[in-house]
Amino acid sequence: MKKLSVIGFITAGIALAGCSDIRREPGAVYMPDMAYSRAFETYAEKDSAFFTSDPSDGSGKIFYNNKPVEGTISRGEELPFSVAKDKLGDSANYVASKVITSPLTAPLAGKDSIEAERLYLVNCGICHGAKLDGNGPLWKDGSGPFPAAPAMLVGKAQYENMPEGQMFYSVTYGKNLMGSYASQLSRKQRWQIIRYIKDKQLAKKAAAAPAPAETVVKK
Amino acid sequence: MTHIRRNAAKLTFGLVFTLLVSISGNLYAQAPNAKNGEALFKANCTSCHKMDAKVVGPALMNAAERWGDDKKLHAWIYNNVEFQKTGDTYATNLVKEYNGAAMSVFAGVLKPAEVDDVIQYIKEWKPVVVVNDKPTPGGGGETDNTLLFGILTLILAVITFVLLQVNSNLKKLSDDKEGMPAIEPVSFWKNKSYIAFGAVILFIVGGYYLAQGAIGLGRSQKYQPSQPIFYSHKVHAGINQINCQYCHIGVYQGKQATIPSVNICMNCHMGINEYKGKEKLYTAEGTEVNGTNEIQKLYKYAGYTVGQPWDASKATPISWVRIHNLPDHVYFNHAQHVVAGKVQCQTCHGEITKMDEVYQFAPLSMGWCVNCHRNTQVQFKDNGFYSIYEKFHDKIKNGTMDSVITVEKIGGTECQKCHY
Repeated sequence: MKKLSVIGFITAGIALAGCSDIRREPGAVYMPDMAYSRAFETYAEKDSAFFTSDPSDGSGKIFYNNKPVEGTISRGEELPFSVAKDKLGDSANYVASKVITSPLTAPLAGKDSIEAERLYLVNCGICHGAKLDGNGPLWKDGSGPFPAAPAMLVGKAQYENMPEGQMFYSVTYGKNLMGSYASQLSRKQRWQIIRYIKDKQLAKKAAAAPAPAETVVKK
Repeated sequence: MTHIRRNAAKLTFGLVFTLLVSISGNLYAQAPNAKNGEALFKANCTSCHKMDAKVVGPALMNAAERWGDDKKLHAWIYNNVEFQKTGDTYATNLVKEYNGAAMSVFAGVLKPAEVDDVIQYIKEWKPVVVVNDKPTPGGGGETDNTLLFGILTLILAVITFVLLQVNSNLKKLSDDKEGMPAIEPVSFWKNKSYIAFGAVILFIVGGYYLAQGAIGLGRSQKYQPSQPIFYSHKVHAGINQINCQYCHIGVYQGKQATIPSVNICMNCHMGINEYKGKEKLYTAEGTEVNGTNEIQKLYKYAGYTVGQPWDASKATPISWVRIHNLPDHVYFNHAQHVVAGKVQCQTCHGEITKMDEVYQFAPLSMGWCVNCHRNTQVQFKDNGFYSIYEKFHDKIKNGTMDSVITVEKIGGTECQKCHY
């Protein structure tokens, strides 16, 4: 009897110690064939016995790399950027990109302006600051984790005078320590953000300029 | 003869060079001011340079000593393109080391005297000794009372049992006293009322757990898998305030919120190669995690070596473990909920900004979906998505319909909304 209770106590102890709230396994499902997709879902791993992502693979496998056919332009998207990325240590194309003009020439208004602001705050504000002052939460006057100071988009002549095409080059291919945003933002979104920056720069200039420069047409 | 001539040429070049520099120096004859230099440095240099670490350009601590000659360094900063033409070996090697990355020309941006200020600042700069303040201990978490209640119940049950035994013993004693014939005592595991009681308890408790287990099949609330890289949402989205949509770009555009590509990680981690946050990182089990090692794991996937230019085409995808899984027979679209429905991420995913390791916050059961559709009020006015509900808008306007519109009212609980 005593032996039994000792054994029982130890097993109970082990069972209790084995209990944990941390759930590392997803658990079972009722009907796996209904729960798990038979069709290929996003991010699903493809069976390498049937699929290949190498177009030059001559083994008769199905070629599929999740990407649209080269040159495809989705509806409503802007035309591709005609300037290629510079080779390492070269800046010829960066300079050449100055002449490219933005498809958005008029200042943004209404819905477009709200959308551009949202895109800026989500993608750029983290470094360049919500006020475009180059002091976002990742920099914080040098106390943030990012090692390089982001460009001060409003208030520095270098960026206020930068042509839109060159800004587009930087956003598309990256510049210095800034990475490429081509995977995150469509061309249209990139142009919208650049237009938004230009609008803010112009607004700052207009505010700084003396009163006679004000030629607002009243409706 | 030619030897002398070459030397003479070198000498004259040197003379002219020093003359030029000294003239420009004389024009602004002032002692270089490190404080002014600091401001200039912060405004003009920090986007590529740091004192104690290589960023885009070299670390500048001891730069003056490395150059050996302030005048050369001055000329380099002022106009590095012109200076490279002199064929200086240090400059040539420097350009080679950085794969020809071009430094901005500061002629016209900075005055020569200002360049001196910057050099003075670089010379005077010393690393700040950081006094390590004690890290806050890993969150103690809320106390769970279930165990306490369980123990209390057990103790009460034991007391009841003991009291029942005492009661029967006392009864037996009093019966003996009164001379009543003693009934043959029945041991309690053979006592029918005890057995019946036990059976009922077992039925209720067992039934409860059976039902719970059956309901829980196919649901993975609190599922918290170990990921290939210990990526802390708390550090990224919480402390560093990165917007969810910075990485989950698809959430506004389509069904999937999308998992970020390595490129998105590298947008920041090309620069950030160490974890220096004050908060220590812990796994759910409480083991401490070295953040810098985790960043190194990312570099392995990205095919990136610190200090080298990164070739994005060499990156391999990271196989993150999917946490939120809806069965295939349910349709769910992120964009519809976030854009048209204006639902916050946290409503379904919990306080992501406080999670080191993400777990599934919501049960993702049908009851949970339907409840939310019944209770959630839709922002109906000024919402482009609902502008086609003309009858509704008219009815609200003339008062025949309540302006509170839930998802249910616009068909949010119809079967075929999600199952088709």
